[in-house]
Amino acid sequence: MKKIVPLIIVSVLVLVTGFYWIMQSDRGLPLAEMVQGIIIVLLVLFGFYIAFSRLKSVRRGEPAEDEMSKKILQRAAAVSYYVSLYIWVGIIFLLDRVEMETEVLLGSGILGMGIVWVLLVLFFRWKGLRDA
Amino acid sequence: MHNRIRELRARYNLTQEELARQVGVRRETIVFLEKGRYNPSLKLAYDISRALHSNIEEVFIFGESRP
Repeated sequence: MKKIVPLIIVSVLVLVTGFYWIMQSDRGLPLAEMVQGIIIVLLVLFGFYIAFSRLKSVRRGEPAEDEMSKKILQRAAAVSYYVSLYIWVGIIFLLDRVEMETEVLLGSGILGMGIVWVLLVLFFRWKGLRDA
Repeated sequence: MHNRIRELRARYNLTQEELARQVGVRRETIVFLEKGRYNPSLKLAYDISRALHSNIEEVFIFGESRP
Protein backbone atom coordinates (compact mmCIF):
# COMPACT_ATOMS: atom_id res chain seq x y z
CA MET A 1 0.00 0.00 0.00
CA LYS A 2 2.93 2.36 0.59
CA LYS A 3 3.50 2.40 -3.18
CA ILE A 4 -0.14 3.23 -3.92
CA VAL A 5 -1.26 5.78 -1.30
CA PRO A 6 1.42 8.46 -2.07
CA LEU A 7 0.57 8.20 -5.78
CA ILE A 8 -3.12 8.84 -5.06
CA ILE A 9 -2.32 11.68 -2.60
CA VAL A 10 -0.05 13.44 -5.13
CA SER A 11 -2.64 13.01 -7.91
CA VAL A 12 -5.42 14.45 -5.73
CA LEU A 13 -3.16 17.35 -4.63
CA VAL A 14 -2.38 18.19 -8.26
CA LEU A 15 -6.09 18.13 -9.09
CA VAL A 16 -6.97 20.35 -6.10
CA THR A 17 -4.16 22.81 -6.94
CA GLY A 18 -5.25 22.91 -10.58
CA PHE A 19 -8.86 23.53 -9.56
CA TYR A 20 -7.73 26.31 -7.17
CA TRP A 21 -5.60 27.85 -9.96
CA ILE A 22 -8.62 27.92 -12.30
CA MET A 23 -10.92 29.38 -9.63
CA GLN A 24 -8.41 32.14 -8.77
CA SER A 25 -8.08 33.26 -12.37
CA ASP A 26 -10.22 36.41 -12.68
CA ARG A 27 -9.51 36.98 -16.36
CA GLY A 28 -10.71 33.55 -17.49
CA LEU A 29 -8.42 30.93 -18.91
CA PRO A 30 -6.55 31.79 -22.11
CA LEU A 31 -6.25 29.01 -24.70
CA ALA A 32 -2.63 28.10 -23.83
CA GLU A 33 -3.46 27.73 -20.14
CA MET A 34 -6.59 25.76 -20.95
CA VAL A 35 -4.50 23.32 -23.01
CA GLN A 36 -2.05 23.06 -20.11
CA GLY A 37 -4.96 22.36 -17.77
CA ILE A 38 -6.20 19.54 -20.00
CA ILE A 39 -2.68 18.05 -20.13
CA ILE A 40 -2.45 18.21 -16.31
CA VAL A 41 -5.76 16.35 -16.03
CA LEU A 42 -4.50 13.68 -18.48
CA LEU A 43 -1.27 13.27 -16.46
CA VAL A 44 -3.26 12.93 -13.24
CA LEU A 45 -5.55 10.36 -14.87
CA PHE A 46 -2.44 8.39 -15.83
CA GLY A 47 -1.32 8.57 -12.18
CA PHE A 48 -4.71 7.15 -11.11
CA TYR A 49 -4.43 4.44 -13.77
CA ILE A 50 -1.04 3.32 -12.38
CA ALA A 51 -2.35 3.47 -8.80
CA PHE A 52 -5.43 1.35 -9.61
CA SER A 53 -3.45 -1.18 -11.66
CA ARG A 54 -1.16 -1.59 -8.61
CA LEU A 55 -4.19 -1.92 -6.34
CA LYS A 56 -5.61 -4.62 -8.63
CA SER A 57 -2.34 -6.58 -8.39
CA VAL A 58 -2.30 -6.30 -4.59
CA ARG A 59 -5.90 -7.56 -4.41
CA ARG A 60 -4.87 -10.61 -6.50
CA GLY A 61 -2.09 -11.33 -4.00
CA GLU A 62 0.67 -10.08 -6.31
CA PRO A 63 3.20 -7.33 -5.55
CA ALA A 64 2.24 -3.75 -6.40
CA GLU A 65 5.48 -3.42 -8.34
CA ASP A 66 7.81 -6.06 -9.74
CA GLU A 67 11.07 -6.09 -11.67
CA MET A 68 9.43 -5.56 -15.06
CA SER A 69 7.20 -2.67 -14.03
CA LYS A 70 10.17 -1.02 -12.27
CA LYS A 71 12.36 -1.46 -15.36
CA ILE A 72 9.65 0.02 -17.58
CA LEU A 73 9.38 3.12 -15.37
CA GLN A 74 13.17 3.45 -15.19
CA ARG A 75 13.67 3.02 -18.94
CA ALA A 76 10.90 5.54 -19.65
CA ALA A 77 12.51 8.01 -17.22
CA ALA A 78 15.96 7.56 -18.80
CA VAL A 79 14.73 8.03 -22.38
CA SER A 80 12.43 10.92 -21.47
CA TYR A 81 15.45 12.66 -19.89
CA TYR A 82 17.21 12.67 -23.28
CA VAL A 83 14.06 13.79 -25.07
CA SER A 84 13.47 16.56 -22.53
CA LEU A 85 16.89 18.05 -23.34
CA TYR A 86 15.67 18.56 -26.91
CA ILE A 87 12.37 19.96 -25.65
CA TRP A 88 14.21 22.61 -23.65
CA VAL A 89 16.53 23.41 -26.58
CA GLY A 90 13.38 23.86 -28.68
CA ILE A 91 11.85 26.15 -26.04
CA ILE A 92 15.02 28.25 -25.87
CA PHE A 93 14.85 28.49 -29.67
CA LEU A 94 11.21 29.63 -29.48
CA LEU A 95 11.84 32.08 -26.65
CA ASP A 96 12.91 34.96 -28.93
CA ARG A 97 10.71 34.03 -31.87
CA VAL A 98 7.27 33.43 -30.39
CA GLU A 99 5.39 35.94 -28.32
CA MET A 100 4.35 33.94 -25.28
CA GLU A 101 4.54 34.53 -21.57
CA THR A 102 7.61 33.02 -19.94
CA GLU A 103 5.38 31.15 -17.48
CA VAL A 104 3.51 29.51 -20.34
CA LEU A 105 6.76 28.48 -22.06
CA LEU A 106 8.16 27.06 -18.82
CA GLY A 107 4.88 25.27 -18.10
CA SER A 108 4.90 23.85 -21.63
CA GLY A 109 8.43 22.50 -21.09
CA ILE A 110 7.54 20.83 -17.81
CA LEU A 111 4.29 19.38 -19.16
CA GLY A 112 6.13 18.28 -22.33
CA MET A 113 8.51 16.27 -20.14
CA GLY A 114 5.53 14.69 -18.38
CA ILE A 115 3.78 13.80 -21.63
CA VAL A 116 6.94 12.26 -23.10
CA TRP A 117 7.37 10.12 -19.96
CA VAL A 118 3.75 8.93 -20.06
CA LEU A 119 3.98 8.11 -23.78
CA LEU A 120 7.21 6.19 -23.24
CA VAL A 121 5.71 4.19 -20.34
CA LEU A 122 2.74 3.28 -22.57
CA PHE A 123 5.12 2.44 -25.44
CA PHE A 124 7.27 0.10 -23.31
CA ARG A 125 4.16 -1.50 -21.76
CA TRP A 126 2.98 -2.27 -25.29
CA LYS A 127 6.31 -3.18 -26.88
CA GLY A 128 7.96 -4.83 -23.87
CA LEU A 129 11.63 -4.81 -22.88
CA ARG A 130 13.35 -7.53 -24.85
CA ASP A 131 16.82 -6.11 -24.29
CA ALA A 132 16.40 -5.45 -20.56
CA MET B 1 16.17 -16.09 -26.29
CA HIS B 2 12.86 -17.91 -26.20
CA ASN B 3 11.22 -19.87 -23.42
CA ARG B 4 8.90 -22.80 -22.69
CA ILE B 5 6.99 -21.19 -19.81
CA ARG B 6 3.56 -21.58 -21.42
CA GLU B 7 4.22 -25.26 -22.27
CA LEU B 8 5.56 -26.17 -18.81
CA ARG B 9 2.86 -24.14 -17.07
CA ALA B 10 0.23 -26.16 -18.93
CA ARG B 11 2.04 -29.38 -18.03
CA TYR B 12 1.88 -28.57 -14.32
CA ASN B 13 -1.64 -27.17 -14.61
CA LEU B 14 -0.70 -23.69 -13.39
CA THR B 15 -2.49 -20.51 -14.38
CA GLN B 16 -0.54 -17.34 -15.15
CA GLU B 17 -1.90 -15.87 -11.94
CA GLU B 18 -0.75 -18.81 -9.82
CA LEU B 19 2.72 -18.80 -11.36
CA ALA B 20 2.95 -15.03 -10.85
CA ARG B 21 2.04 -15.40 -7.16
CA GLN B 22 4.54 -18.24 -6.69
CA VAL B 23 7.47 -16.27 -8.10
CA GLY B 24 6.39 -12.90 -6.66
CA VAL B 25 5.68 -10.93 -9.82
CA ARG B 26 2.58 -9.46 -11.44
CA ARG B 27 0.53 -11.54 -13.89
CA GLU B 28 1.36 -9.01 -16.59
CA THR B 29 5.05 -9.98 -16.30
CA ILE B 30 4.24 -13.65 -16.94
CA VAL B 31 2.20 -12.61 -20.01
CA PHE B 32 5.14 -10.56 -21.34
CA LEU B 33 7.58 -13.42 -20.64
CA GLU B 34 5.43 -15.96 -22.49
CA LYS B 35 5.14 -13.64 -25.48
CA GLY B 36 8.93 -13.17 -25.47
CA ARG B 37 8.56 -9.43 -24.88
CA TYR B 38 10.63 -9.39 -21.72
CA ASN B 39 13.85 -11.10 -20.68
CA PRO B 40 13.84 -11.83 -16.94
CA SER B 41 16.62 -11.26 -14.44
CA LEU B 42 18.67 -14.31 -13.46
CA LYS B 43 16.82 -14.50 -10.13
CA LEU B 44 13.38 -14.42 -11.74
CA ALA B 45 14.48 -16.99 -14.35
CA TYR B 46 15.69 -19.22 -11.52
CA ASP B 47 12.45 -18.79 -9.52
CA ILE B 48 10.29 -19.53 -12.57
CA SER B 49 12.35 -22.62 -13.42
CA ARG B 50 11.96 -23.87 -9.84
CA ALA B 51 8.21 -23.24 -9.89
CA LEU B 52 8.03 -25.26 -13.11
CA HIS B 53 10.17 -28.10 -11.65
CA SER B 54 12.84 -27.60 -14.32
CA ASN B 55 16.36 -26.29 -14.84
CA ILE B 56 16.91 -22.81 -16.26
CA GLU B 57 18.29 -24.38 -19.47
CA GLU B 58 15.08 -26.33 -19.93
CA VAL B 59 12.87 -23.27 -19.55
CA PHE B 60 14.94 -20.55 -21.21
CA ILE B 61 16.67 -21.39 -24.45
CA PHE B 62 19.52 -19.00 -25.16
CA GLY B 63 21.00 -18.08 -28.50
CA GLU B 64 18.27 -19.56 -30.63
CA SER B 65 15.58 -17.83 -32.56
CA ARG B 66 11.91 -18.37 -31.72
CA PRO B 67 10.69 -21.69 -33.23
